[in-house]
Amino acid sequence: MKPLLTLLASAAVTGSAFAATLTVDPAIQPYNQVSGVTGNVNSIGSDTLNNLMTLWAEGFKKSYPNVNIQIEGKGSSTAPPALIEGTAQLGPMSRPMKSSEIDAFEKKFGYKPMAVPVAVDALAVFVNKDNPIKGLTMKQVDGIFSSSRKSGGEDITNWGQVGLSDSWTSKPISIYGRNSASGTYGFFKDEALAKGDYKTSVKEQPGSSAVVQGIATDLGAIGYSGIGYKTSDVRTVPLGESASSFSDATYENCVGGEYPLARFLYVYVNKKPGVPMDKLTWEFLKYIIARDGQEIVIKDGYFPLPEETAQEVLSQLAN
Amino acid sequence: MPEKLPEHATGKNRFQTAPATLFMDRFMTLVIKAGGALVITSVLGIFFFIFFQIWPLFAPASVTAAKSIQLPDNHYSIIGIDEWGSLPFLMEPDGKLLTADFETGKIQEIPIDFAETPQPRFTAATLNKREQEIMLGTNDGRFFLVSPNFSSSESDGRQLITINPRAASPESIGIPTQPILSIAYGDSGTQKLVVAIQPDGEGRRISASLYKRKRSLLGAGKTSLEATFDLTSLISGTPTRILVPGTADSLIVTTSDGRVHFLVLGGDNNGFSVIQTFAPFDHLENPSIAAATFLFGDVSIIFGSESGENCIFSLYYPEGGDKRLYGLTHEFAELGATPEFIASTLRNKAFLIGGGNKLSLRYSTTDSIRWQQSLPFNPVNAVISGKYQRMAILDSSNKLHFFEIHDPHADSGWNALFGKVWYEGVSSPKWEWQSTGGSDDFEPKYSLIPLIFGTFKGTLYAMIFAVPIALLAALYTSQFLDPGSRSMIKPVMEIMASLPSVVLGFLAAIYIAPLIENEVPSLLLVAAGLPVIAASTGFVWSHLPIQFRKFIPAGREWIVFLPILFASGYVLWGLGPAFEAIAFSVTDPTSRERIGDFPAWWPAATGTTYDQRNSLVVGFMMGFAVIPIIFTITEDALSNVPKSLRIGSMACGASRWQTALRIVLPTASAGIFSALMIGLGRAVGETMIVVMATGNTPIMEWNIFSGMRTLSANIAVELPEAPHHSTLYRTLFLGAMVLFLLTFAVNTVAEVLRQRLREKFKTV
Repeated sequence: MKPLLTLLASAAVTGSAFAATLTVDPAIQPYNQVSGVTGNVNSIGSDTLNNLMTLWAEGFKKSYPNVNIQIEGKGSSTAPPALIEGTAQLGPMSRPMKSSEIDAFEKKFGYKPMAVPVAVDALAVFVNKDNPIKGLTMKQVDGIFSSSRKSGGEDITNWGQVGLSDSWTSKPISIYGRNSASGTYGFFKDEALAKGDYKTSVKEQPGSSAVVQGIATDLGAIGYSGIGYKTSDVRTVPLGESASSFSDATYENCVGGEYPLARFLYVYVNKKPGVPMDKLTWEFLKYIIARDGQEIVIKDGYFPLPEETAQEVLSQLAN
Repeated sequence: MPEKLPEHATGKNRFQTAPATLFMDRFMTLVIKAGGALVITSVLGIFFFIFFQIWPLFAPASVTAAKSIQLPDNHYSIIGIDEWGSLPFLMEPDGKLLTADFETGKIQEIPIDFAETPQPRFTAATLNKREQEIMLGTNDGRFFLVSPNFSSSESDGRQLITINPRAASPESIGIPTQPILSIAYGDSGTQKLVVAIQPDGEGRRISASLYKRKRSLLGAGKTSLEATFDLTSLISGTPTRILVPGTADSLIVTTSDGRVHFLVLGGDNNGFSVIQTFAPFDHLENPSIAAATFLFGDVSIIFGSESGENCIFSLYYPEGGDKRLYGLTHEFAELGATPEFIASTLRNKAFLIGGGNKLSLRYSTTDSIRWQQSLPFNPVNAVISGKYQRMAILDSSNKLHFFEIHDPHADSGWNALFGKVWYEGVSSPKWEWQSTGGSDDFEPKYSLIPLIFGTFKGTLYAMIFAVPIALLAALYTSQFLDPGSRSMIKPVMEIMASLPSVVLGFLAAIYIAPLIENEVPSLLLVAAGLPVIAASTGFVWSHLPIQFRKFIPAGREWIVFLPILFASGYVLWGLGPAFEAIAFSVTDPTSRERIGDFPAWWPAATGTTYDQRNSLVVGFMMGFAVIPIIFTITEDALSNVPKSLRIGSMACGASRWQTALRIVLPTASAGIFSALMIGLGRAVGETMIVVMATGNTPIMEWNIFSGMRTLSANIAVELPEAPHHSTLYRTLFLGAMVLFLLTFAVNTVAEVLRQRLREKFKTV
């Protein structure tokens, strides 16, 4: 009975942790409405940021009913072509642009695109909710997902190898991942796989929710996606460099650097240096970074920007 | 008296066609011809469009000389270039940078402020291309890190690159009073490793310093010295060259006798150990290494021998090994001169090797020589711009030559697309598809073979499931079923064909796959048991006395059959777990008892994997898409067999079964064949079911319980991310072309065979 109670208690604590303790830094100011904002703005890019963009657009439209915002989210790699062709003014991306993408942009415009951090995300490793695993070291994660195992761990194919017992000992690990258009795919490859290759047995899913759905219905599954896609059918695995330093994907661990897979989520914009950008895009970005936008970030399950980053972004944008 | 017939029925011209009809006839002939021509043109148009998209994949590199700039006489130790390729810089011995502007040809000497008087004296210089930083070693055992600090601005519509070098404060390494002969460093972001060679009495001393830096989301913290190491005793022979990878956890030392030492830092930073020593040119008379550098990504090392041989060693786990070691992965043709330098790019796996009067641009992944020439000058050093678009070559008379490179698809070619390639980090050459990475130093793997394999695999399993069911169902429906029931069945099957495949795929992924995972034995039992039960029921029924059979009119036997089949299907499904416990049992690790567990039994018994999203699920769902097509066309073909044939056969005393099998089936074979081919075409091109129901795993094994990645699914999954006109983009078009040719070949063969069959049975 007692373990059950503790479990319930801890579930209650973690469950309410997001709602109760995580708040936007009080130094981040609320958004101030201005006049004369109308028109259309298009956003093409990350699937991880898709829900967030939609929520921001809804919130923004409450202040400016005459604004029309269209959002498309197939993967971060779709953002640079859209910005270059001019089909989108906002390019949400869950990873920084690659230099080849910046090249293409620079070739057309003569300057580099501007990256605006808009939220903090913990890229979470998910397992089925019935999986009892306590945590994984980064070496084990590499051994599970990678065929080249650049971190130097052993090849891991079943749950017994990462310390699970009973019926889990010989249960094969069924691996889920994102398709290569996704920034999450690239980030995970760089950080968790030390730039190694994925195993060919990683089941590439076209969206983050498909990954989570797959894990929810597959008992031996493991997979990764942004923390915002977490559902009650999956649980996040605490990660760490060694077994003694497992840390869960919380805001404090992300900002403090203990959680190894923390990252910024970006919105890329086409801003010519020294020239103010168009009013609608500018106000929308201001809205995102202001208190209003950051509260939506928390609501969607991601983490808000630290205050100093928000200030830095605003001053860069104003240039 | 009969009524008078109308004029058109009695008139003189009653056998003449009306001019309007004739006109209409001619007009429609033209329209139809034009339509046909239009169809052919558009198919050809698509073909040519795809063709023009893919041909650059096979085009060679074009390298053209752009201009030359004479530099003042001096000894230039290193040459670097900005990422735009327009302002190369050279290091002078006295710690000044010399830049030569590509556009204007202006030569400028730029002093660096080392904040020290007198100016330190430099004895070694290294360019870290990855970080774009220069490391200068002094004569008193210290080093400076100089960053060139390029900035780009626009003036008069022209890009203006300026350089503003800045030196960090010096750090000491090794013996304080000895000059540094050679120095290198690697920086991973959290850890930095600096290694230097200094003279020490008779021999040489190798020292390493390890720096640590804490890094959080908000940026890098302070760097602090973690440990220093003396590596001299680990190396036998005279060290000549050090390479430190960007991971900063290992280093490479080459010695004058042509050996390469691979040193790795222990887990707790407690010291280095040599884990491998090898000699790349052991088989040569002169095994010494003339040039060596990391390929972009720091996983492979390019070596050049004195006699001009050129090879690449990569880091990978040897078969069965538990440590990553260097092994020979690529060999290139001889350069024909002693290489003076090897320069790698910062975009791909290309490198430039030169010496004598030879210069060669080569690509590691594909083993190809992209461009090679004998020059009118002797190159001594070179650099390729960050974007792999321009190279600057310094010759022995201090003249700087610029060459423009246009080679957007260096990573492609026959070998890369269809051949086995030895990629970085793998233990043997492989066919592999993994097109994108998160960083630039990723080596793309563009082999189409796993995708073609996956296409065949998916098609095969779909057809295994669909063909027997569809053919037998069509035969039964057209030959045995009463017309009343048939008029119901056929439209229902056709409605099934109209189910969108994305819906089927979704259903497969969310519902069928988890269901099948737990019920494989039940499924096997049903699949094996039902046909047997159906056949024996038929046998028993046909031997029943006519008193019983007369209650059911011919063609309505299903009234008896269906309940039996449903009931036995239900029973068989229910027997699944019992069957599993007997046939597919594994030992439970906790209780040491045998328990039935098919997903655990399959890998143990066959050595292959069991995946929830597997070919069985895909075959099953694709069957749903294919069965109605094969069924409808086959049923039509069978029903269109002239009634006279059937009646004649029956009249001669043949039974319904004999008539169907010996008369109807051969006569309709041409139609049935088309049905199969159209079904096959549908299965080959099916996309959404495969995308959603499999994991899109590009593996190459026939195992029914693993997934696959088909050509069409690959296009659907990857096209959104493919940058326009990139290699990936064109490779996807190539995939489309392969698919096109595949279906074209299938259709052509099918059509030829169909014509033959038709010819054969034309008489009847």
